[in-house]
Amino acid sequence: MNRTLPLFRRNLADSWRGLAGWSVGLLAALFLYLPLYPSLGGNGQMQAMIDTLPPELVQTLGYDAIGTGPGYVQATFFGLMGFVLVTIAAVGWGTGAIANDEETGQLELTLAHGITRGQLFVERTAAVLVKLLWLTAMSVVVILALNGPAELDLDLGPLLAAATAFLGLTFLSAAAAISIGGVTGRRAWALGAGAGVAVYGYALNALGNQGEDLSWLHDWSPYSWAFNTDPLTNGWDWRIWLLFGVAGLLLLIGWLVFRRRDVAI
Amino acid sequence: MTSQNAAVTTRGLIKRYGSRTALHGIDLDIPRGSVFGMIGPNGAGKTTTMRLLLDIIRPSGGELRVLGEEPRTGGAGLRRRVGYLPGELHLQGRVRGRDLLAHYAEISGTVRHGAIDSLADRLGVDLSRPVRSLSKGNKQKVGLIQAFMHEPELLVLDEPTSGLDPLVQQEFHAMLREAKENGQTVFLSSHVLSEVQQTADHVAILRSGRIVSRSTVAALRESAVRHVRIVVAEADAAVARPALERTPGVGSLVEASDREGTTAFVTTLDSHVDAFVKAIAGLDVVDLTIEEPDLEQTVLAFYGPDAEPTTDDGREAAR
Repeated sequence: MNRTLPLFRRNLADSWRGLAGWSVGLLAALFLYLPLYPSLGGNGQMQAMIDTLPPELVQTLGYDAIGTGPGYVQATFFGLMGFVLVTIAAVGWGTGAIANDEETGQLELTLAHGITRGQLFVERTAAVLVKLLWLTAMSVVVILALNGPAELDLDLGPLLAAATAFLGLTFLSAAAAISIGGVTGRRAWALGAGAGVAVYGYALNALGNQGEDLSWLHDWSPYSWAFNTDPLTNGWDWRIWLLFGVAGLLLLIGWLVFRRRDVAI
Repeated sequence: MTSQNAAVTTRGLIKRYGSRTALHGIDLDIPRGSVFGMIGPNGAGKTTTMRLLLDIIRPSGGELRVLGEEPRTGGAGLRRRVGYLPGELHLQGRVRGRDLLAHYAEISGTVRHGAIDSLADRLGVDLSRPVRSLSKGNKQKVGLIQAFMHEPELLVLDEPTSGLDPLVQQEFHAMLREAKENGQTVFLSSHVLSEVQQTADHVAILRSGRIVSRSTVAALRESAVRHVRIVVAEADAAVARPALERTPGVGSLVEASDREGTTAFVTTLDSHVDAFVKAIAGLDVVDLTIEEPDLEQTVLAFYGPDAEPTTDDGREAAR
């Protein structure tokens, strides 16, 4: 019998329907937004319309560079629709990894078997990461496919940098949900932590966009670490790796508490 | 008893949840190859004790050994040698029973080929259906299969027959007997005695996190209270009363009228049946009824608010 990564495989087998659903949603968003670029963003009409909006709003939405292909993809997909959709998926999966399983009472029986808590923590985290990696990779492939037809004018290197930042940002929310689930075993706390990290990062970034004297807020926002240097135009930045570092730190704390606390009380 | 030949040993096992103490120092010795029953009302600490054995929760104090190892350090390897059925069984609903069991088999000890199917046949559960479509009793069967399928050295079963109909309960009792014959150890809990009575060799009664009695089913039966009704000739009534009152084990006497010329006494009697019979031997006994002991009532007496935790030898002496 195949005994390699049993919990990882079980998790993927259990959640393939959800993953398929999120994939379809993401595809819909990509195919809805990106082909519109030539008619909206590319010909200057969009830019003209944006110019009539209050600058604070434009900066909050990150629409200030919407007149270029990379700016458009960043503002519509990575920075907004894709971010929202994949973050919701990430928080859901992160909550499901431990907290939800514990509240439904299923974790008790799983842990009563021949596995360690660390193994469960790692395998389920890996499953979440793989699912996020799938959604990100799928998006990259679709964006590349639409690159020519939609006149987006994207280069592969910066696209991979932006996708990695995107993965890091959504994985950070998932990690927060997994970790707090590991610490508390409570669904509401895990969900709140995952969603909280995303909202906090987005709000802080939007505030930081409002002017020079507030731009220091970017230093404290995960969303800014991912996107403030505009990786889709400028390529790699070390702050992208900061996302993974913080996620790893959160997971480490979650694991340390999870391995020594009482489960299912 | 050393931990070498005991499947489970605990000494002064304490579990606290914050300020609430769930277990106040439990001493248990479960010999290998025996069926050990733990009974007690809801909230007595049965589930807590079992979860401690599986390292799902950690003790706040005292010693705990399962198959010679501490659950904390024994880890995954130790748990592969144990089969566990939780008291509140929650199974994942969307998968088929067979797939769920295949998953548990991957994270258990080695499951013999065909073991799952033969258990499913015995208990009568259809594993091709999604788990969520199964009745409570059939889910419980899936739970039993995952506990038994790897033929573990120790079975820890929390309220195992809950939801099972009487025929399946019989089959389950047969499975317990076979497990015992195979040298497996069974530790099961229940809030009703009748369940434990049929299968267990040893019984511990738990109340409010303390063991209030530790016994064999045979000894429990011996110490059980019997209801007694004795009818003597009226002329003997004056002699009978002090004679009965002097007899050890006889409870308070209630005099009841009977047919003309006779007097009936109704009372209770504990284990001293022999002394009782000898005490009444000199009387002109018209009728005598000693009811079969009601073990359930004996146990309920331990549950009662006045029941004092006994020391180890308190009940042991009744054997």
